Amino acid sequence: MSKVKELFNKYQVLAYIVLLALLCVVPFALPKAVYVRYACNILMYATLAGSLNIINGYSGQTCLGQAGFFAIGAYTMGALSTKFGISFWLLLPLAGILAAFVGFLVSLPTLKLKGIYLSIVTLGASEIIRIIAQTWTPVTGGAMGIKQIPYPEMFGLDTFRPKYYYFIFLFIGVIFLFVTKRVLQSRVGRAWISIREDEIAAKSLGVQTSFYKSLNFMYGAFWAGVVGCAYAPFVNYIEASQFSTDTGFNVLAMIVIGGQGTLIGPIVGSTIVTLLTESLRFLESWRYVIYAVLIIAMMWLRPQGIAGASRSILAGGKIKRKKQAAGAEGGATNG
Amino acid sequence: MEYFLNQLVNGLCQGAIYALMAIGYSVIVGVVGMVTFAYGEIMMIGAFGAYYVFQFVGINLPIALLAAFASSFLLGIIVYKLCYERFFNAPRHISLLCTIGFSMLIKNLVQIVFGPETKPVLNIIDNRTFNIPLGGAISIDLKLLQIVVMILVVVLAVTLTLFFNRTRAGVALRAVSQNKDAAYLMGINVKRTAMLGNCIGCGFGGIAGILLAIYYYSISTTTWGGFSMKAFAASVLGGLVDLRMSALGGLCIGIVENLGITISSATFRDVFAFGFLIIMLVLRPQGFASKKGNRV
Amino acid sequence: MKKFVSLLLVMVLALSLTVLPVSVQGKGVIKLGGLAPLTGNYAEYGKGFQVGWQMAIDEINAGGGANGYMLEIDVKDTQGDTVVSSTMATAFAEDDDVLAILGDFTSGSCKANASIVDRYGIVQLSPTASAPDYAGMSPFCFSIMGRQDGEAPYLATYVLKKYLGVDKVAVIRVDSDWGLACFENFKAQADIEGLEVTEEKYKSDETDFSSIITKAKLGDPDVLVVMDQGAAVSAIFNAADAAGWDVKHVALGPGTSEQVVSQLMTPDNIIVTSPFFFDPENEELTKWKEEFTSKAGFEPTVHPACAYDTMYLIKTAIENIGDGKVTRDAIRAALQDLEMQGITGRIKFEPAGDIQRDYMICGVEGGEWLVLKGFDYVNE
Repeated sequence: MSKVKELFNKYQVLAYIVLLALLCVVPFALPKAVYVRYACNILMYATLAGSLNIINGYSGQTCLGQAGFFAIGAYTMGALSTKFGISFWLLLPLAGILAAFVGFLVSLPTLKLKGIYLSIVTLGASEIIRIIAQTWTPVTGGAMGIKQIPYPEMFGLDTFRPKYYYFIFLFIGVIFLFVTKRVLQSRVGRAWISIREDEIAAKSLGVQTSFYKSLNFMYGAFWAGVVGCAYAPFVNYIEASQFSTDTGFNVLAMIVIGGQGTLIGPIVGSTIVTLLTESLRFLESWRYVIYAVLIIAMMWLRPQGIAGASRSILAGGKIKRKKQAAGAEGGATNG
Repeated sequence: MEYFLNQLVNGLCQGAIYALMAIGYSVIVGVVGMVTFAYGEIMMIGAFGAYYVFQFVGINLPIALLAAFASSFLLGIIVYKLCYERFFNAPRHISLLCTIGFSMLIKNLVQIVFGPETKPVLNIIDNRTFNIPLGGAISIDLKLLQIVVMILVVVLAVTLTLFFNRTRAGVALRAVSQNKDAAYLMGINVKRTAMLGNCIGCGFGGIAGILLAIYYYSISTTTWGGFSMKAFAASVLGGLVDLRMSALGGLCIGIVENLGITISSATFRDVFAFGFLIIMLVLRPQGFASKKGNRV
Repeated sequence: MKKFVSLLLVMVLALSLTVLPVSVQGKGVIKLGGLAPLTGNYAEYGKGFQVGWQMAIDEINAGGGANGYMLEIDVKDTQGDTVVSSTMATAFAEDDDVLAILGDFTSGSCKANASIVDRYGIVQLSPTASAPDYAGMSPFCFSIMGRQDGEAPYLATYVLKKYLGVDKVAVIRVDSDWGLACFENFKAQADIEGLEVTEEKYKSDETDFSSIITKAKLGDPDVLVVMDQGAAVSAIFNAADAAGWDVKHVALGPGTSEQVVSQLMTPDNIIVTSPFFFDPENEELTKWKEEFTSKAGFEPTVHPACAYDTMYLIKTAIENIGDGKVTRDAIRAALQDLEMQGITGRIKFEPAGDIQRDYMICGVEGGEWLVLKGFDYVNE
């Protein structure tokens, strides 16, 4: 494994280009059209899970309400494109900004709260957003939702076909990773990680925790909004029940299983959960039983997730263990 | 005016059930020291335990209540072993995520066994309504069902208080909820006591669950997550651990919900509960309790 | 050399045989896509679709198929969820072998799929979508349930005004596309008839109706009308009974559903509108009903009967194409023009792609459904 990592680090740029090229070929190489749709879902949820990972995995705030920010992005696209014909590409950043604004509002009451209180407020906010979506009929279509959302214009291609829509999700995913990597390596990212590991210590070192926590929420919400905006034309019909707490928990499952605190964790999680969802569709409720077991198993065996940040508080800190290497004891290092 | 009073009565009755729920929740959080997301599903198991008693034994309320308590109590043991015991000294988010997984697990297992449809729960308590004049031309409708529920909740609350104050086990529970290490030093088996506290809280949840099913004349597998939220919201008023304040919180939420529906429509029911919660958290996150342990 | 050549020849011949279509029973198989809620709130109806379709396919194939083609349907569970329905619809549409889609159950899902089937150019024939604006969304959208601008006004004029003779009505309805379509069409007619109407709505997974009942009871109406299908119907009426409210129960939506009757506290109090009834006098219908019940494990309403008819509609459409190539477009064109007698009655599509039906009033006596007023009541 480390050999691969060595090779990877040496030829990073080349490796990324090869990876990107492979990803571009995927939609044309898959035998069945429905597989392409799965691939789209994987990419979309990878970014959505990534946005939640920013909050849960990098600042240590356990947000449970990502569905709300997702909804804001989706409805922005749905409402503004069907009512005013605004272009998708313009709405992408706009949806993100609106969601970030709501993220800011949600962060305000949470600044003084910790742990479960913070989580419950995020859940409550997500539910309130959903209920507004369900009842504010003139804007959101109420219980009827918004239908026939126009597909984006992209070089004149038939974007209603999943194999072309794939590239929209790929585009968003790549930009997300690129920007986020930069942010995480900056002062902002370091502040977030310091808050995650030990907020009091961070404060005592002069980190303005409230400011960075709020910024963290806004950043995570921004990307959830962007993904939401891309989601809306893809499913072509949005309606409040698509943004329930179950949706939020699904995304949470992805980062719990795939890994928190690393950039690749959400991608792993999204792939695993989406593939399980689709291939096990015939199992219906048993699917969720499997996730649930996976989540619990993860918490027992590897709390940071499969590809999560092992050298961080996410890995569990002081769960009773006999012998343990020093690295796992809540030390603050890069994720 | 009568309509308003009737909705108030509805609110009091529903609030009583919420209060029971909140008490159970507070016992868990107080004694175990960890928050749960699985409370709704625990209530559901209690409700189903009683439902199956109705199916196989017949309409027998006392046995059903016992069955509800017992089913949730037993489930509490599993929850404890899976989600709490191992993580006493770990970061809080881990046990939280574990309970989220557990709630998903139980919800879907029950759906597989029971089916996703809503089944009716009828004829448990006679359909009698008493019309009580209040002076002037005003009278309110009080259903037999509502009277039974409210009396039951009061009885259970009093029993619990007596248990906490007069029995050895109860005192041990209080000790553990105040300070685990000190209790340990006093010779109390902290792990077993914490489990007992958890299971009692779950048992109360189970009773609240079957009461809700009887009150709504139906039982299903999907509505319980919302009740988990409400239990939490109610006990926030008590700083999550104070029983009396949590019960009051439950009562408040019940009343606010029903009166709120009077003004607007039923679709906003959850908004009131959440709104109440968020306002509480903004104004006074520690609740109105006297200071106790607050390790969340 | 000769041996080699002959071996080569044999191999080429063998290969070509595998490439050529092998017609054992005629011209081959036509694949259809099926969308139905096999789980979730509307599971009863989804399973009914599945059984109804299979019954029809078995009969058609046993009789030599549709113009020689065997029919085959791949039923996917849409869970009563619109996004799942759209995903399945897209999957069918992308599969060039699928020539038509049957389903889904709810108007909402069908409407959401409308742009998908329109873009790909594949028929979506729903047994039960009844929102009046559905079929017009695309030339590829069809439904045979009847429209809410037929059934809802019928409720106002013939059930409430003429049969029950009441003035004040409380409506409790589900907040969905279908529910809205029902109520709007109902209200328009109710206003003409001079009925006083109050409205309460609830979200589709609601379970607590006690506050809604208290509100609806306020105006002291003569009748309580519920517009929904599935478990909520009985839950609402039970909540009304539990509140000690003595009022007539009328429902639009569930049809003559067994499930509803079995879950009601006071089943004899209910009246429904239905475009169809399994008349015990009618031998053919009774036989169909018995066969369905033995295959499904529960008794049918009009919905699975419609599903059965949709399969026969496809068969008729294929037969009407005659010798031409059976394509998605050809099926659409044939469907638009055909006329057929199904077990649910005569079916001929309006230009939009749906049909107008007649309705009757049904009630319950001793736990069994019966017809109170038949199709002729409108002429009395």
